[in-house]
Amino acid sequence: MSELLVLALKFAFLALLWVFILFTGAVIRSDLFGRRVPAAVAAAPVASARAQGRRNRRKGSVPTTLRITKGKQAGLTMGLGDHLKIGRSTDCQLILDDDYVSTRHARIYRSDGGYLVEDLGSTNGTYLNNERLSSPAPFTPADTLRIGRTLLVVEA
Amino acid sequence: MAEVVVHRRRTGTSLVMMLFALALGAAGYVLTSLNQNGTFPADWLMSAGPLQFGGPWFVGVAAWFALGLLCWGITVWRLPYADPLILPVAFLLTGLGVSMIHRLDQADGKRSAELQMLWLFLAVAVFIAVVVWLRDHRRLQRYTYLWFLAGFLLLLAPLLPVLGKENHGARIWIEVGPFSFQPAEIARIVLSIAFAAYLVEKKDVLAMAGRRFLGIDFPRPRDLGPILIAWGFALVILVFQKDLGTTLLFFGLFVAMLYVATERPSWAILGTLMVVVLGVVGYNAFGHVQTRFESWLNPFADYDRNGQVINAQFGFAWGGLFGSGWGEGRPYLTPLAKNDFIAAALGEELGLFGLVAVILLFGFIVARLLRAALGSGEGFGKLLATGLAFVFALQVFVIVGGVTRLLPLTGLTTPFVSQGGSSLLSNFLLLGLMLTITHQVRRPPLEHAETGEYVLLSADATQTLPVVGGARAATEPAAPAAGAVDAPRPDPEDFGAPGPEPIAASPITAPPPDGEAP
Repeated sequence: MSELLVLALKFAFLALLWVFILFTGAVIRSDLFGRRVPAAVAAAPVASARAQGRRNRRKGSVPTTLRITKGKQAGLTMGLGDHLKIGRSTDCQLILDDDYVSTRHARIYRSDGGYLVEDLGSTNGTYLNNERLSSPAPFTPADTLRIGRTLLVVEA
Repeated sequence: MAEVVVHRRRTGTSLVMMLFALALGAAGYVLTSLNQNGTFPADWLMSAGPLQFGGPWFVGVAAWFALGLLCWGITVWRLPYADPLILPVAFLLTGLGVSMIHRLDQADGKRSAELQMLWLFLAVAVFIAVVVWLRDHRRLQRYTYLWFLAGFLLLLAPLLPVLGKENHGARIWIEVGPFSFQPAEIARIVLSIAFAAYLVEKKDVLAMAGRRFLGIDFPRPRDLGPILIAWGFALVILVFQKDLGTTLLFFGLFVAMLYVATERPSWAILGTLMVVVLGVVGYNAFGHVQTRFESWLNPFADYDRNGQVINAQFGFAWGGLFGSGWGEGRPYLTPLAKNDFIAAALGEELGLFGLVAVILLFGFIVARLLRAALGSGEGFGKLLATGLAFVFALQVFVIVGGVTRLLPLTGLTTPFVSQGGSSLLSNFLLLGLMLTITHQVRRPPLEHAETGEYVLLSADATQTLPVVGGARAATEPAAPAAGAVDAPRPDPEDFGAPGPEPIAASPITAPPPDGEAP
């Protein structure tokens, strides 16, 4: 091959290598923050309009406190923030003294006009009204949550 | 109103980058032959025992593209939210590596590139197994002590009389049949997982409980003890095997993870001081450490002993800014150019611009992993991603720094690029783990039910407890007892959950719980 062609190919290769790097930079830049959507939108495909209508109809449907109704810590109440993790580990906001509770058992978090409860892969499961949670479900004052041997309710 | 961050899947972007990366990797292979002979490469032949696989050169290229796209397809299928960049960047590095090994084959007449491709097939199989099987890295968290045990067994394996093999003065290999393997490469990943799983449990006691001494908060011995013993054990094994590079890697991994877990800068300071102290002690105590320092600071004093480093330096000098071009330089003059010194070969033929590009590619992988660690909502993923990113970055830094004489030379492989089956295999295992973590971090929070990960995790319930469901009556006395019980209850069908059991089957009519009687 001619010297010139070798030289041209050499620079073409290096240029393309750097084009790849610039592309990578551009992808990182466009990917930096993700897209911010309100939690309600993310939850929307989960909760149908019918369920939402039900939730809004109820008076005082936005709970403010969490109360333990049965278990070693029965009677304990705590305020609900945006996000509350329940389990036995020290990084949980609500640490349950219960041998049947996993290290990180469940979380309760705010969504549009109410709270959702989600199991975090616990060993013994999280039960909302006697039904084992497989996906995040709304947690309203009408529901009873069972985690291990502890029962919890939310109150307006 | 809370907001959540949603990442796009970026399947298309990932495909474009993947094709680009595969093309660049193959271009190095083709350009070598074009530059050297003016023709396309000679026949491609891979043989694994009785199996032979080969054909014209484009069969090799086609196999390369097929492997890359297979990995991409599997990732899109199982981990749709995985980082779009890590996979293409890793494949570009692998491609540059295989091409450079092929180029060095032209000089020494061996068929290392074909062997490397064979290992790549195995590595891709391992990658697919990880991606298809694992899906959620949190499953690894459960087996903390098993991971420690596995890590030690891997580290100890080369010391066994039958299995172990000494090579280049270091006893770090095991030999099974025709294959030799470096178990420390896998142990690096296994111990990262073990440290992450242990530290995520203990990080609070490590950071909070303890006494202050010399301005540094030392944790209680019973919290630090197990991990300190584990780590000391690993280091003793490695020192015994005379593997300085890996020793440094494990030391750095331990210090970095402790620092990230406890958020105490004193650990990082202490770790750096310990490296300095150990370096001084090692320099005065061991002859081979002095040799390493001598060939780092003053290589040209002894040409015979430091020929490798000197040749690498000459290579960089001849390469200059833009390199000599694929196949036009003489990187084969450096001993071990395919393994430890592949950075020198790349620097000679692709120049400073090429080498910096390669280092940037490593940087991208580290950056994406650290970004995932920052975005991770749970401690284990955060620690694991940080640990893997750090050990990866440290490895690249130590070997490329050693080759370019920024640091004293310690033998380590360059991830994805160097020749070596165990290195390639473990790095693809690492790649699978990286993609799994990024997928879990970037996935929208409410998709769990569809993918079924949490369901899978919690499926092994150990017992069922008698349920008292009457708390509702106590907290909402206004509700009429029986008829309205299921009215406010959300219908599981609305959430895509499997149909509820008949109401009659659940003992909702139990009496109010103790202490709540009106």
